[in-house]
Amino acid sequence: MDQLNVGETVLQARNIHKTYGTKGNAQHVLKGIDLRVTRSEFVGIMGPSGSGKTTLLNVLATIDHTTDGTVLIDDADISKLSNTALSTFRRNKLGFIFQDYNLLDTLTVKENILLPISLSKMSKRKAESQFTDIANVLDIKALSHKYPHEISGGQKQRTAAGRALIHQPSIVFADEPTGALDSKSASSLLDVMEKVNQQRGVTVVMVTHDPVASSYCSRVVFLKDGKIYSELYRGDKTRHAFFNEIMDVQAVLGGDHVDGF
Amino acid sequence: MLTVFELALRSMRQNVKHYYLYFFALIFSMSLYFVFASLQHDQAVQNMTHTSVAFFQIAGVMLIVIVGIFTVSANGIFLRRRSREIGLYQLIGLSKGWVVRFLLIENILLGLGALLVAIICGALVSRLFVLILLNLLGLEGIVGISFSVQAAFKTLMVYLLIIGVTSIQMMLMVYRSTLLNLFQADKRPDLSAPPKAVASAIFALLGLTLIGYGYELSGHIDKELFPNALLMLGSIIVGTYLLFHVTMRWCFYRFRKRKDGHLGLTNSLSIAPLMHHTKANANSLALITLLSAMTITLISMAYSFYYSVEQETRRDLPYDFMFENDQQEALSFKMELEKEGIDVNHHVVQAVLTTGIILDPNDESYRFEESLLWLPAEHLKQTGADLNVPPDGVAILYNAGASLAGDLDEHSKRYPTEIVLEQHGQTVMYTLRTLRERNIMNLNAPGSQLLVSEATMDKIAEQMAGTPDYKKIHFDTYQVPDKEELAIASSLYEKYDNDEPLKYDYYAQYKKVLELTGLLIFIAAFLGLVFLISTGSILYFKQMTEAEQEKQSFKTLRQLGFDVDMIMKGIIRKQIIVFLLPLSIAILHSIFAIKAASFMIRSDTMLPAFIVIAIYTVIYFVFALFTIGYYRNIVKKAMS
Repeated sequence: MDQLNVGETVLQARNIHKTYGTKGNAQHVLKGIDLRVTRSEFVGIMGPSGSGKTTLLNVLATIDHTTDGTVLIDDADISKLSNTALSTFRRNKLGFIFQDYNLLDTLTVKENILLPISLSKMSKRKAESQFTDIANVLDIKALSHKYPHEISGGQKQRTAAGRALIHQPSIVFADEPTGALDSKSASSLLDVMEKVNQQRGVTVVMVTHDPVASSYCSRVVFLKDGKIYSELYRGDKTRHAFFNEIMDVQAVLGGDHVDGF
Repeated sequence: MLTVFELALRSMRQNVKHYYLYFFALIFSMSLYFVFASLQHDQAVQNMTHTSVAFFQIAGVMLIVIVGIFTVSANGIFLRRRSREIGLYQLIGLSKGWVVRFLLIENILLGLGALLVAIICGALVSRLFVLILLNLLGLEGIVGISFSVQAAFKTLMVYLLIIGVTSIQMMLMVYRSTLLNLFQADKRPDLSAPPKAVASAIFALLGLTLIGYGYELSGHIDKELFPNALLMLGSIIVGTYLLFHVTMRWCFYRFRKRKDGHLGLTNSLSIAPLMHHTKANANSLALITLLSAMTITLISMAYSFYYSVEQETRRDLPYDFMFENDQQEALSFKMELEKEGIDVNHHVVQAVLTTGIILDPNDESYRFEESLLWLPAEHLKQTGADLNVPPDGVAILYNAGASLAGDLDEHSKRYPTEIVLEQHGQTVMYTLRTLRERNIMNLNAPGSQLLVSEATMDKIAEQMAGTPDYKKIHFDTYQVPDKEELAIASSLYEKYDNDEPLKYDYYAQYKKVLELTGLLIFIAAFLGLVFLISTGSILYFKQMTEAEQEKQSFKTLRQLGFDVDMIMKGIIRKQIIVFLLPLSIAILHSIFAIKAASFMIRSDTMLPAFIVIAIYTVIYFVFALFTIGYYRNIVKKAMS
């Protein structure tokens, strides 16, 4: 494993604003958000529908632009990067996991996972060993030559996770990764993400509305009306205890319905 | 509450915008058919060409077939594209019967709209086509403006046929597919099992072998023409089908397996989606290859005929006018020409006709006596003929019909040989050095034309004088250098020629053949244009649909950090495979087919074939560029 500087800042967002629409009909979605994520943190972002969670994730993940404010990832100001530079940046530094997997139907599991490093100058042998490592961790080695339509939702999402991790990104963004999964597949995916986070020190930022999912995180940030409402740290608490704490905050926040534990 | 009819109208209004290309395709095929039918029934065309009826009928059937193939392919693509919508109707509780009714109403209305536009467009451009045709035939006619009711009626019939076929296709599609495959139409590959190693390898090789066999056959097709032509056609068609269905799939599969997951972005965007739609792609690529090969061959042959009319006619009739042993008429013709102020070159050629035997070195027993026309090279040279005087005692045979008679085959070793002349039991031999594929005297001159020096001819005249078939012939030859004057001269010549059933006046013959081949090239080019635009559009439609289906992939790739240029590299590779593969195979096919068919034509087919292939390729690439442009837009939109 690489040497990890726990506590070093990976992502720093300062006073982020995001407005949609034109002047007369403007919709202020993010109203000044400050967020710092350190190396090997597992951050959950929660909040009721319309609180701006996904918008925040998109802005942090360079998929969308901020209206105001700066985002630094590994000390690079992403709002100042050109489109080409952004592409390169995403390819080298970021990984993504989405609710609907976004795998390429025409590619096998292995081809999907290796896609992000297809343009890098990595040797085939190194790529192969990296793939084997990750596929073993995610328990999808046996599926290498299967196509997405031949495997289950949980397996698809683990494939997507493999694709997000193959190039050893600085940070992985996950948007409702368990949203389309049944509870068993969801918990097995979260176990894997926790394992990857703890063993490999991968930094994860995950948006979810599911308190079970967020109970896997080391920190949960609550959004309300485009602002940070509160934050919870797991510390040494058990997952169950952390889950209860999250439920309490959510009860105060209201808005979103809760899927039981 | 919306009725089915209203809903159909509404959805159609959107579809016209969305599926403008399908609508355009319908308009295009029907208006071309209308133009074609208008031409067929045009009075000017019907009066001027006598063989036109058969040509037009065959071409009309071909046109209907291609229009049918085209609309069925286009409809298939659009049904697949709308499979989600069709599934959705059923999901909200509408019956299959309702969905079929809805689709049929929409199809009929869309078709009717297209029919109306097609007839209007067709009526506007059909005059233009008549002009082109008359121009090609070298005729000057008055182009009247008339609307052909007959053509409109025929087009209506074609419309009914198209609607009938596409409606059956829609019904089959709705009744046969389950909801699940309507919704997952794009997710699943159409052939998921990997090819069986041994069987695939055998069939892959069989495809190549069949094509090779067909090519080999094309080299000697003129022997036993009919069975060989059928065999060649059959083996090339089956071979092409296997090539795309098995060989291509097998190669892709092997290639991908060797990559073992390390496919790379470019291949992921080219080979992977091609393999995902293997079956559909193989079908359309094979169809396009065969149609293209057919088109190129057809137009090349027609163009070769048209292109060589002047040359071919000259081979048969080296002199504009010729009189044989009729100096009185020759003189009066010359006087008439001079009266009209026509500039004419008049030369006299004194020849000798005998009988004799041309020996066949391959067949000792061959002793067939025939008429031999001995022509003195010195006289012919004076007329401006391009030839050399052979040495004394040596003759050269000239026969414009040699290759048609199968006499020109280099392997026959028929020449050089000897000519045997018999006179009062005494035998004289002359050397026949070689055979040239043209005439040195007009076709209607008697006997086989032999070129000798004047001295040799005089010797033969001396020896043979008094034999029963011996004859001295006085030829009066005329050349009119000016083309316009030649036309007038030709009409003056008519009255000297009236006891002959066939015309041996160069200009009249030239005009006759020009008309025929002009009609041929016109019809071939017309069909070719329809074929080309149809095949191009089928490819364009297919790629458009695939582009729409791949939108989500482009969004995903953007998130993975790939930019437009990187993605376009993969897409261009895919288009190169999709467009270039069928085109290059089609060109190869057509080169062999032209070679096989070129026994019908004495002049060179290379240059016309090359021109046709070049033009075809250029138009074809316009479609490829359009497709790439469309893709680029989709990618850019998906990625912004």
